[in-house]
Amino acid sequence: MALQTPTNEYEWSVELEKVGFVRRLLGARRWYGADWWLVAISAVMVLVFIILGLVPSLLAPYSPDVQVGPRFLAPGASPDLPVLVSLASSGITELGDLETSTGDPRPSVGVVRGVPTAQALNEQAQALNEQLAGTDKELRPRIVRFNSIDEALQAVADGTIAAAVVQSAEYEDLAENYPQVVEGKSVTGESAAAGGFLLGTNQIGQDVFSRLIWGTRIALLIGFSASIIALVLGVPLGLLAGFRGGKLDRLLSIIMDSLYAFPGLILAISITAVLGPSVLNVIVAIAVLYIPTYYRIVRGQTLSVKEELYVEAARSIGARSREILRKYIYPNVIPSVAIIFSVNVADAILTGAGLSFLGLGLPPNTADWGIDLARGQGFIQTAWWLITFPGIAIMLVVLAFTMMGEGLMEIFNPKLRER
Amino acid sequence: MEDILYSVRNLNVRYATRSGDVHAVDDVSLDIRRGEILGLVGESGCGKSTFGKAIMRMMRTPGRIDGGELWFDGDDLMTYSKKQMQSVRGGEIGMVFQDPMTSLNPVQRVIEHLTETIRTHEPKVSELAAIARAEELVEKLGIRRERLDDYPHQLSGGMRQRVMISLALALRTKLVIADEPTTSLDVIVEAKFLDLLRELRDEFDLTILLITHNIGVVAEVADRVAVMYAGRMAEVGDVYGVFAEPKHPYTVGLLHSVPNIDLAAHDLYKMEGAPPNLLSPPSGCPFHPRCPRAMDICAVEVPQFREVIPGHATACWLYDQVEVAGG
Repeated sequence: MALQTPTNEYEWSVELEKVGFVRRLLGARRWYGADWWLVAISAVMVLVFIILGLVPSLLAPYSPDVQVGPRFLAPGASPDLPVLVSLASSGITELGDLETSTGDPRPSVGVVRGVPTAQALNEQAQALNEQLAGTDKELRPRIVRFNSIDEALQAVADGTIAAAVVQSAEYEDLAENYPQVVEGKSVTGESAAAGGFLLGTNQIGQDVFSRLIWGTRIALLIGFSASIIALVLGVPLGLLAGFRGGKLDRLLSIIMDSLYAFPGLILAISITAVLGPSVLNVIVAIAVLYIPTYYRIVRGQTLSVKEELYVEAARSIGARSREILRKYIYPNVIPSVAIIFSVNVADAILTGAGLSFLGLGLPPNTADWGIDLARGQGFIQTAWWLITFPGIAIMLVVLAFTMMGEGLMEIFNPKLRER
Repeated sequence: MEDILYSVRNLNVRYATRSGDVHAVDDVSLDIRRGEILGLVGESGCGKSTFGKAIMRMMRTPGRIDGGELWFDGDDLMTYSKKQMQSVRGGEIGMVFQDPMTSLNPVQRVIEHLTETIRTHEPKVSELAAIARAEELVEKLGIRRERLDDYPHQLSGGMRQRVMISLALALRTKLVIADEPTTSLDVIVEAKFLDLLRELRDEFDLTILLITHNIGVVAEVADRVAVMYAGRMAEVGDVYGVFAEPKHPYTVGLLHSVPNIDLAAHDLYKMEGAPPNLLSPPSGCPFHPRCPRAMDICAVEVPQFREVIPGHATACWLYDQVEVAGG
C-alpha cells in the first residue's frame, strides 16, 4: 500500500469476480477487448430472430400461405388495384358515392375491355347492394365499356360518364394528361398505400415478408431442437467413452466415426426420405447428423482432461468416479461444447434450409426459407426478391449465432478471462 | 520397538507395455514410522512416484500392483474394496502432487475443492460447517480466507501448494504422501514450504512420506531417508547415518554428485553409465554395471535387503559377511 496504488482497472476485475451473470455480461468488454460490440450486435440479432420466431402472427402483416395480392409484385411497389377515377368537381371518391335513390337514373361507370376491373366492380357493387336491400337506396351503376383506358379517361374528363374503374398502375402513367380527373379509392376497399408489400409478393401472390417471418419459426425450431437433441445424446456418450475407455469406447467410436464419415447432407437426405416429410423428421435427421460432432469433441477433451493432475488429485482425496466425471471433467469439457453448440445451431439451420431447398423434409407449402429459395430460383432474372431475402435471412441467422456463441465462450470460460 | 504406521511388504508394481512388462517397483519393503518425515530419494524413473501412488492403490492401467502387502495402521489395504479405498484416500492418507499449477481444478473455486473433500468423506457435515472448517484450516496454512473464493489460476504457486496441503489435511489424515512437492517452486517458497511441513507434522501429528530427487530437501527436513534405485530399495536409514556413512555404493555416488560451492567444476562426481532400462534390468544387483566396487557375485545374484547396523539397512553384497569372508 505504500507503493503506488495500481489503476482502477485492477479493482474492477476483482469486483467482477463477485458479481452476477448480468453484470458480468455487461462488463464483457473488460476482457473481451475491442470486440465486445460484436457480441452485443449478435446478441441483439439473435434476440430479434427469437422474437420473430416466437410471435410471427403478431409481426407478419399477412398470412404466409394464402394468396394476398397480385403475383410478382416488386418490393415496395403498389399493387395494381382497380381504382375509381372521376372528375374532381363531382366529389365521387368511392363506390358508395354512386348510390342513388330507387328510380333515379343510374350513374354510368366506364370500364376498359379485357381488364379484370369490370368483374371487380360488379362483385363489389353487388355486395354493397345487398347491404342496401330494404332501404330506398340502391347501387346499380350502368357499365359502359371502352376499348382503351385513354377513351375511358377522356369520357370521364368530358363528363359523359360519372366515373370509371381503371387499373391504378395504368392510370398513374396517364394521369398528367387528364388534370381534371382525380383518383379515388380502390373499389375492392384495399388502399394502395397499405396494400404495398414490403418485400414484394411471390409467384402465387403470397407476401414474401410474411413468409420470411414465419420461416424464422421453422428455422429456429429445427436449429435448436436438432442441436439440443444432438448435444443431449452426444455429450454423455462422449464423456462415458472418454472416461471409461476400453471396449465401450471402441464400439461407440466406430459407430460415431462411420456416421461422421458419411457425407452429411446425403445422410440427412436419406433419413428424411425414409421417414417422410414432417418437421419432426427433419429435426431427427439433422440431430443424427450432429451427434458425432459432440461425441468426438467431448471424448477427445475427456481423454486429455482425465490425464490432468487435478483429476489424479481428486482421486487422491477419495472422490468417486461419478464425482470426478461431474465436477472435474464435465466443467472442463463443456466450454468447447458451448462453442460447437452455437455454431451447430447455425449449421443445423443451414442444413435444414438445404434439405427443404432440395424438396425433402418439410411439407410443400410450409413457410420456410429453403422452400422459398427453391421456389424462387426459377424466377431469379425476373423477380430477384424471391431468393434474395430468404438468402439474407439465412445468412444473418448463421452469422448471429456463430458470433454470439464465440463471444459467450470468451465471457464464461474462466481460463480465457483475464487476458 | 517403533510405532509403525505403514508397513509395505514385498511390493511389486508392473507397467504393461508393448515390449513387455516394466518392473517399476521390485520387491520393495519399507516401514513408515508414526510421526516421522521419511524422505524417499532416487533418480528420475527409479520408481519412487510409482511407489507413492501404489501405496495409495492409485495405479491405473497400464500399471498394476503385482503382489505385496500394504499394512496401514494394522489393516492390509490390498484386501480393501474399492469403496473402502476411496474412504482411505483423503480420509486417512492424503497426497500432495508435484505440480501445484495443474493439480487444482481450474474451473472450481478453491473453497469448493475443500468443502468437496470434507463432504465426500463426511456427508453429514453441512455446507456452512464445511466452509467454516476450510477457512480455519487455510488460515493455519497462511492463506487469507478471502482468497478462498478465487479460482486456482489467481493464486501463486506457493499458495496453490498450500491449498493442496490443506486438501490433504482437510480430514485429519494420518499420512501425507508429498510427491516432489517443491520441484516447481522457487527456493524461497521451497524453504517456507519445508518449514510448513515440519510445523504441520508437529501440530497435526502427521506422518509424511516426502518423495523427491533433491537430496538437500531430504537433509533439511527428513528424519529418515530411503534411497531407491531401478525399482529396488537400495538403502534405508536414519538421515544422519545415511548422510554421514552411506553404505550402498549408489548412495555414496549420489551424495558425491550433489554440487557444492567448495568444489571446483571438474571435481563434481559424475556417476558412470546411466540408469538401467527396466524392461530388461541387469542380472543380479541392478546397480552392478555402474558400481565402482562391483564383485563377481553382484552380476549373478540379487543382494538381500537387510540391516547392516541397527536402524540402517541396505541391499549390497559388500555387507554380506559370508561373501566378504569367502571372497
